[in-house]
Amino acid sequence: MANTALTRPARQVTARPAQRSRPRRRGQRAAYVFLSPWIIGATVLTVGPMLASLYLSFTDYDLFDSPKWVGLDNYVRMFTEDDRYWHAVTATLEYVVVSVPLKLALALAVAMLLNKDRRGTGFYRSAFYAPSLLGASVSVALVWRAMYGDGGVAGRVLGVFGIDVGSMVDQPRYALLTVIALAVWQFGAPMVIFLAGLKQVPKELYEAAALDGAGPVRRFLAVTLPMLSPVLLFNLVLETIHAFQSFTSAFIISSGRGGPSDSTLLYTLYLYQRGFNDFRMGYASAMAWVLLVVVGLITVLLFRGANRWVFYMGEGKR
Amino acid sequence: MRSRTPRHGARILAGVVSVALAGVLSGCGSSSGSGGGAQTVRFVWWGNQDRADATKKAVALFEKKHPDIRVQTEFSGYAAYVQKLTTQVAGGAAPDLIQLDRPTFGEYQHKHVLADLGRYTGSTLHLDKIPANLLSGGKADGKQYAVPAGQTTQMLVYDQKLFAKAGVTVPEDGWTWKQFTEDMRKVGARTGVAGTTDFGWAVDWFDSWLHEHGKQLYTADGKLGFTAGDLEQFWNATAALRKTKGVSAPEATTKMDGSTQNSALVLKQAASEMNYDSNLTSYLSSYQGTLKAAPLPSDDPAHSGMAALPPVYFGIAQHSSHKDAAAKLLDFLVNDPEAGAALGATRGVPANSEVRAAVCGAATGDGKAVCDYEQRVQQRMGPSDTWQWPSGSSAIKTDFQQVYDDVIFGRTSVSAGAERVVKNAQQSLEQ
Repeated sequence: MANTALTRPARQVTARPAQRSRPRRRGQRAAYVFLSPWIIGATVLTVGPMLASLYLSFTDYDLFDSPKWVGLDNYVRMFTEDDRYWHAVTATLEYVVVSVPLKLALALAVAMLLNKDRRGTGFYRSAFYAPSLLGASVSVALVWRAMYGDGGVAGRVLGVFGIDVGSMVDQPRYALLTVIALAVWQFGAPMVIFLAGLKQVPKELYEAAALDGAGPVRRFLAVTLPMLSPVLLFNLVLETIHAFQSFTSAFIISSGRGGPSDSTLLYTLYLYQRGFNDFRMGYASAMAWVLLVVVGLITVLLFRGANRWVFYMGEGKR
Repeated sequence: MRSRTPRHGARILAGVVSVALAGVLSGCGSSSGSGGGAQTVRFVWWGNQDRADATKKAVALFEKKHPDIRVQTEFSGYAAYVQKLTTQVAGGAAPDLIQLDRPTFGEYQHKHVLADLGRYTGSTLHLDKIPANLLSGGKADGKQYAVPAGQTTQMLVYDQKLFAKAGVTVPEDGWTWKQFTEDMRKVGARTGVAGTTDFGWAVDWFDSWLHEHGKQLYTADGKLGFTAGDLEQFWNATAALRKTKGVSAPEATTKMDGSTQNSALVLKQAASEMNYDSNLTSYLSSYQGTLKAAPLPSDDPAHSGMAALPPVYFGIAQHSSHKDAAAKLLDFLVNDPEAGAALGATRGVPANSEVRAAVCGAATGDGKAVCDYEQRVQQRMGPSDTWQWPSGSSAIKTDFQQVYDDVIFGRTSVSAGAERVVKNAQQSLEQ
């Protein structure tokens, strides 16, 4: 990438008279100087480590001794021998499949409520957005653990209704649900985007639909959803990718173990355990690359599938 | 604007570079905080608050005696400690004086992280007052790589009131397994609190159980000393107790990590718990109620499943640039009577026999409880040399608990779980 970007202007330059090329080249140099923080950052902090991790994924590396080349061994072992790897895959898929739709549905519902002009809407918008600012933090995850743990608020509230579940975070049946609940609670970011999308829907469409006798449900299905579908796609892709990369909440809620019984062992958490508890950096790198490829594939599928349900204004489909 | 000379570009570049450098340098500044000729020794350990308070007191005494050495201390919980330490060691930023336990000692010795202490022995570091059975735990290939910080042994710590309420008394010469099983069920049935914390979670108690059956977790040459059948038998015993509230429920067991904050006993989800007596002071200071230590159950006093073990070791990093100062601190912590008085029994009873006699002679309260227990079970302790944990045992300990979680929550059967532990353990030992 960097190569072509550098050589292309240079070729153009040789074709031109020397007089005009000089200041231009200088200008470019200045541009690169100003870009340098990003260029240095991207190479040193992103591209370099990525390539290093690709190399490490073919090695056995424990941080102490130098990496030993093992070819595809890590990948083979991951898919054929590692029980916990599949526990992690199952937990992650369950997490993504449940949390993403719930989060988007809640975000859309709240966005629609806040779309109406009432008193105090501004306040409510900020209030509902706040959790997504806090949600990724360690402190909230700790609070979550306390809420759903022994003698926590959740247990007591359910106790009032005669339901005794005990400590939810310590039971495989419920532990992942608490992590999902934390993810859904942070619906603020997609909500704001939905809200912006809702503002763009022309009022005439609703009026026309109402005149034709469409009720609220029909208006939602026939006007809101199609008009909002590009925004929905955007949120869906973004949230899916985020969900696959989710780490902090599961790490804190399970005290870093992914337990009980691997029920909250999200993919990235297992990756972390392999890397920093077992010191199998090669294996962890291989896991990271599999995740990258799978998330990439899922994104492509989402975009492909989008042709069927995403509606863009001005496509002449009316 | 067009008239800009090339110098301008150079100046901008210089500016950008210097700003970047300034950032980098200021980032480095904080880590090299030694000045005025004083050496700074970094000393790290894990443990509960009572251990931290005592250790900081001892370190302050050391700094007073050696004004030319400053000690920077860090402590945390066990899991966080191991992660951070290993990352630091791998990154070439190892602390100078390191607290280790049996699995981490095996690991680090194997990876050449620890310095051979032979050079200091006899001059800065005195080991002659430390019993040979404790010292042997810090040896590998005949060389001393770490010094035991104390002596500990296995115990069952129990809530006296709950046991009394259930009408259970601890037999004078300890339980047999049959009596123990019955008594734990009795406690569970009569008090509503499980008799004891499910001891199937930690490989340590399996090791004790193996010793009672004339086996051991690892052989002298670092191989696996048990079969899947042994583990199946052990876990079947806990499974039978679990059904009748003899041991804690899975939700309580899954939290166990050796710390008092997650202990099922401290959280009142069990009336007793197996642990090492080096943790007794932590239990006593964080428990609401009266606790007492009893020996582990055993069918044969000659095979009690108990031994005098070093709770933790101190080792010096091979690549430390303050090895002499670190050795002085190590010697002070282990041999100095004042340090001994400050440390008390927060790492088990002192390893140095003279210091131990002095500390235990003057001990009151929590420290005295540890000394008394050690005194009481001294005759029951078996030899210490069969409890060595090789490189790879750290991963085995984690995996053991992991698989047991699957067992207690019914995700896998006891026999399949036992097979998995053996298979994974063999892989870990080969690494």
